[in-house]
Amino acid sequence: MSCSFLVKTMHTHLQRKVRLSGIQWALLGALLIEIIVFSVSSPSFLTWSNGMEILRFSVELGLLVVALTPILITGGIDLSVGSTIGLVAVTFGLSWQNLHLSILSSAALALLVAGVCGVLNAALIAYLNLSPLIITLGTYSLYRGIAEGITHASVSVTGYPASYLRLGQGYLWSVPLQVFVFLFFIAVYGVLLHWSKVGRALYAIGLNTEGARYAGLPVKRYLALVYLLSGIVSGIAAVIYVAHLGLAKSDLGTGFELQAITAIVIGGTSVFGGRGNLFGSVLGLLFLCVLQNGLHLLAQPSEAIGVLTGALLILVVASDLLTEKLQIFRQRWERWRLPLLLAGAAAASILVIAAAVILRSSRTDAAEAADAHPRPVIAVMPKAKGDPYFISARAGAEEAARQLGVDLIWDGPTSLDPSMQNELVESWITRHVDAIVVAVANKGSMSTVLRKAREHHIPVLTWDADAEPDARDYFINQATPEAIADSLADEGARLLNGNGEFAIITGPLSAENQNEWISYIRKRVAERYPQMKLVTVLPSDDDRDKAFTQTQNILKVYPHAKLVIAISAPAVPGAAEAVQQAGSSVDVIGLSLPTICRPYIRSGVVQTIVLWNTRDLGYLTVYAGWLASQGRIPPNAAAINAGRLGTLDVRGSEIILGKPVLINKANIDSLNF
Amino acid sequence: MRRLSKADSFAFVTCTIINMTPLLSANGITKSFAGIQALKGISFKLRQGEVHALIGENGAGKSTFTKIVTGALQPDSGELIVCGQSVTNFSPQAARSLGIAAIYQQPLLFPHLTVAENIALALENGVSGWRVDWKRRHLQARELLGRIGVNLDPKRIAGTLSMAEQQIVEIAKAIGADAKILLMDEPTALLTDREVDHLFSLIGQFRQAGVGIVYISHRLEEIQAIADRITVLRDGSTIACREAAGVDRGGLIELMVGRSLASIFPKHTVTLGATALEVRSLSNLSLGLHDISFEVKKGEILGMAGLVGSGRTELAKTLFGLSPAPCSVYLEGKAVHMNSPAQAISLGIGYLPEDRRQHGLILDMALDENMSMASMDRVCRMGLVQRDKEAAQGERYIHELRVKAAGASVAARTLSGGNQQKVALARWLAIKPRIMILDEPTQGVDVGSKSEIHELIGQMAERGVAIILISSELPEILGMCDRIAVFREKTIAAVLDRQKATQARIMALAFGHADVIPQETGKS
Amino acid sequence: MSHRIREIALCATIAVLMLLLEWRTTGFFSPANLVDLFLANLPTMMIAVGMTMVILTGEIDISVGSIFAICSVVMGECARAGTPMVVSLLVTIAAGAVMGTINGGLIAYIRIPSIVATLATMVALRDGLRWYTQGAWIQGLPQYFQWFGLSQSAFLLLCAVMVVVTVFLSAAGLKNLRAGRKVIATGSNKAAAHMAGIDTARVILGVFALTGGLTGVAAVLNSVRFNQVPSNSGLGLELKVIAAVAVGGAAITGGSATITGTVLGVVLLSGIGSALTFLGISAYWEKAIQGGIILIAVAVDVLQFPRKDNAHTLAA
Repeated sequence: MSCSFLVKTMHTHLQRKVRLSGIQWALLGALLIEIIVFSVSSPSFLTWSNGMEILRFSVELGLLVVALTPILITGGIDLSVGSTIGLVAVTFGLSWQNLHLSILSSAALALLVAGVCGVLNAALIAYLNLSPLIITLGTYSLYRGIAEGITHASVSVTGYPASYLRLGQGYLWSVPLQVFVFLFFIAVYGVLLHWSKVGRALYAIGLNTEGARYAGLPVKRYLALVYLLSGIVSGIAAVIYVAHLGLAKSDLGTGFELQAITAIVIGGTSVFGGRGNLFGSVLGLLFLCVLQNGLHLLAQPSEAIGVLTGALLILVVASDLLTEKLQIFRQRWERWRLPLLLAGAAAASILVIAAAVILRSSRTDAAEAADAHPRPVIAVMPKAKGDPYFISARAGAEEAARQLGVDLIWDGPTSLDPSMQNELVESWITRHVDAIVVAVANKGSMSTVLRKAREHHIPVLTWDADAEPDARDYFINQATPEAIADSLADEGARLLNGNGEFAIITGPLSAENQNEWISYIRKRVAERYPQMKLVTVLPSDDDRDKAFTQTQNILKVYPHAKLVIAISAPAVPGAAEAVQQAGSSVDVIGLSLPTICRPYIRSGVVQTIVLWNTRDLGYLTVYAGWLASQGRIPPNAAAINAGRLGTLDVRGSEIILGKPVLINKANIDSLNF
Repeated sequence: MRRLSKADSFAFVTCTIINMTPLLSANGITKSFAGIQALKGISFKLRQGEVHALIGENGAGKSTFTKIVTGALQPDSGELIVCGQSVTNFSPQAARSLGIAAIYQQPLLFPHLTVAENIALALENGVSGWRVDWKRRHLQARELLGRIGVNLDPKRIAGTLSMAEQQIVEIAKAIGADAKILLMDEPTALLTDREVDHLFSLIGQFRQAGVGIVYISHRLEEIQAIADRITVLRDGSTIACREAAGVDRGGLIELMVGRSLASIFPKHTVTLGATALEVRSLSNLSLGLHDISFEVKKGEILGMAGLVGSGRTELAKTLFGLSPAPCSVYLEGKAVHMNSPAQAISLGIGYLPEDRRQHGLILDMALDENMSMASMDRVCRMGLVQRDKEAAQGERYIHELRVKAAGASVAARTLSGGNQQKVALARWLAIKPRIMILDEPTQGVDVGSKSEIHELIGQMAERGVAIILISSELPEILGMCDRIAVFREKTIAAVLDRQKATQARIMALAFGHADVIPQETGKS
Repeated sequence: MSHRIREIALCATIAVLMLLLEWRTTGFFSPANLVDLFLANLPTMMIAVGMTMVILTGEIDISVGSIFAICSVVMGECARAGTPMVVSLLVTIAAGAVMGTINGGLIAYIRIPSIVATLATMVALRDGLRWYTQGAWIQGLPQYFQWFGLSQSAFLLLCAVMVVVTVFLSAAGLKNLRAGRKVIATGSNKAAAHMAGIDTARVILGVFALTGGLTGVAAVLNSVRFNQVPSNSGLGLELKVIAAVAVGGAAITGGSATITGTVLGVVLLSGIGSALTFLGISAYWEKAIQGGIILIAVAVDVLQFPRKDNAHTLAA
């Protein structure tokens, strides 16, 4: 930040030929410092493959950053870009899958939709003169809503041809393919913004819209153009993103718009318009992506990124405003310039050293001492860190790690997010951990990166939900989906006496293993309990409050239903609470944790929950991972010795934890997970 | 604005007793902006219970003086004495507490709040209390509006008021502030006759209460009706101070005008070409223009004189497409509908706007960027800006126009007014216009740059450009123009030939007193 | 400016929706359902009142969701530590007010544009919370946590009273308190406000602090409906709130908004979700419909009051 004094007081000239402003010099410096710090504290950071992975993961966001920069320069904003990605992605997926269009035609159709999205924004903002904030807030909701509506938020289209997937996952001369697309758009927008007359006009519009009109610049037309382009570029980002993940779903791109705006503002663009450039925006993007990657490699929690980003955003804008104010007193401060510069440099160096020290020391102490004998690192990923089911598994994992004397990395997205899972596994590959154990959120999108891990000779195991069989070495199965479904169906039949209506509350509609259980339940009921009727399946998105509301709805809309089966851990207490508050006699059973269901089991609202010992499951993830990393599981093993769990069956490549356990009033008090 | 405290009331009473002390006394007030001397030594005395009119042309210094009296500006030198006490470091708050209030031409209201609330917020500054007494506010508003004699509903939302009504609210605010010294800048500009009568009776009441009123207006007959004394300003100096009874309108006009034309560059003689622009009964209802007809030939400079608000800028905006009107404009005989500035430029029309800083330039952009803005295609190839070409053009104009700047890439903000204006003009020279509309091209410009700009205008005429010169500076108009259209109340009152035009005549037409054209003096 | 017209239009729309529901479905208007709807949208309503004032001053706050989440956790932690409910309640509200004050300070005194400042706090606070809780829910709460230990219907009454009181106090305050008028004046014309001696920085600080406090109240009332506190609540809350205020007729540039309009906006938008379920339409069209309503509400404004070409800014 002290560099800004230097630069700004050095010249009264303006940004010519994209000269960097003070903030951008500071950002460049900060980026270099960041790279140095991470390289020093993590050996795998400064490698070609890691660098390429950083780039790959920044492309989709980067396209948005590039498209949004001119919009912010005109003093506007576009919050709908993330939602456009979702809508375009599902359009693409569905036209390929359901309309059987070729990949190319699907992409064309998808981009057409993207154009329509852009046109709507353009018309309302440029021609009707409405507030960009509110309009794009509306389209943010509308586009995402249409995407969710046409897919019921559940459909995810996978199984694309490999030739298409190469776009998002392949390499050209060791550089990820999509990076070339990104570079192309940087070039296009660079020309548009910094070379063409349109760009010049955009700056004028941002600085003084009336003045631009008086100079004969076609204000409305150019504004419409940038919003239209923003839609189209979001569409292209969507097509790449789908290839990257191998998956098209309506929730793709969630949160991207705010991340993009953050990068742009950090890069020195003012939300008031007229100031900023593409270089700064890309710099801001790189800074954030490197930060995220570096922290992952250091096994620092992802949450740190958010906190740091927020602080950085404030710091950047505040210091920008401050230096502007100081410009006014430039003469007075002339003589303070040098001492301040030195002070700033000193402060920066102290910060850098402090950061390096903190980051180094926050790695487990044992790691330092054990550099001579490095401990194995087992990396375990839940589907969602915030889910109580996985939280209880973590306890078991940590127990096993302590017992075996290994380092455990327990990290994952805070809610279901296949892209984040992907990114984390990549960073683990870069770090070359000793085993990777993943609860797969989406088969189609994870399998590629898991295969890559295996190619790097890292043993891959999956748990709770499986990937494609050739993408992993073993699958730790708590119980077969059939057994789970059968227990639930049988319990339900017992309570209904084999006769009556029932409803199911699931997690998100797109969760694969829950969908598997649902189909097995239907099968079981059809075979054995033909008098039972399933009236509806409602999603709770693994949200307790939503399960609560959905159950309330079931009680009102389907008054004859006498049973609710909730097959997501947070959903059971939510459903039970709704039944209890309504004073209803509807039974609730499901799949959940004893600790959060205890009060309801005791009061009788919840009759039974089906589960397995999640703590044991967690324990097994680390133990089996360790065994695999040590090569201690022979190729055709029929059983393994899993520490305190004893001997466990191995069927083919599945390690079976055991049978599902029925938890009810009788045994609830003895269970503590 | 707080009500007068006991101390102030005491001082006021004392002031009244010692009737000799003027309420306001200004001596030798000077003020300059960026090298331009706006006030060269104003002296002004306001007695108690007096209505003292302040008249002068546009740019004579009236608004600057008003701002100094209300504390918005600090004078460079001179002294200001309020009620016998010399004031230094005057601020708007200090002025308010001394009982000075002003009613400006541009109302500063809260558009979303009611009339009553607008008045109340202005008057309740510093009043304590949590709750809002709406009853009292409405009563207060009703009372104040009643005193003006206006039937304005205090419950109306300020944003829906007409300009006239907004001005009334401003008057009500000032009245409510119990001012001792009231400055009124063109208070009757937008009022009906009946409303004017009410205002005058109000002024009468003020007079009786010993309040002193500075009355700035162009309406000479009003001034004769209401003022006790009249001070005439010209070019930033006090020219005369007369008892109202002793002057007639012709005399006033003569005092206002009448300076040598020596500073103006002599006009080039140019052979006029065909008619470049013709306008027949043009009206633009949204701007109030009606029934405007004139024509401009190639190489001709048509001046447009008139008071502020007489419609000249509105016409310019209509011709340039900034405010589309359903009428046609005839360019070299062809009828065209002006829809947008871009279209106007493509047809060869350029417009140098009056507000240089807001409209004429983009201050935070570089000089060459500003200059090329209306003619981007000339410095672009396939839509891409050729920076070197643009910079070269910038340097060329800087050299030709003798712009004092460090280079073509500095921000326009860093230049002085005169140099900024040259850059703004360069923008239009770059489009090689066929018709050029110049709106106050030398306003706020130093003498040196002024003559340079005049030279440029002359050169443009020589090249065959049809020029419309809007100016409030009579010598400039008389010196530069072939013919002069005098505007009054949003239409053209008359078009004078160069030979027949004098400053006095133009002024008289602009004021609407064509019947009192004074004797031609040697000076004009 | 003609808020009456907008409010009438909203009432009409809500009436049409109600008629449709009455005709095509059963049970939507049962007391149980209405109560459930009321409680489920209580947070939106409370916070929207505060947001109305923020938007009145011409600013915006997109961090309310994160503040909500943190306040919920604060409430849970206090209760788990055994503090009496009233103290926990006050602490939570204070926490919300503090976070709101930070927002206000950044915006009013450091002059960071409100969209950027609240974006920063939104991200930082939410991730900070995740870091602290590690995703764990707050469990093991005392019996008296749920519904403050009152009966379910007593709690409902309490909530109703809170909402009514908040709505009325704020509407009355905006109309009759000098401070309230200053809020509107600040957003209507900042320059004139300065001339009138209004400390606009203090006003802006105040509305953000107030919104933070109201968010705290909302968090309390929402979390005591259950006996555990999840660590990640309030996702998407800011969008719901801003949408409701916009639909209610607020001008995003400030100076023009009513509490009545906001209340109607909340009612309209929140009824949609439940209505869809009852009408048998997939609930996944909810976002699309909400987005459509926002666009229509704003576009209709322009058709009624054609704007002149003014500077087109975001930060306004």
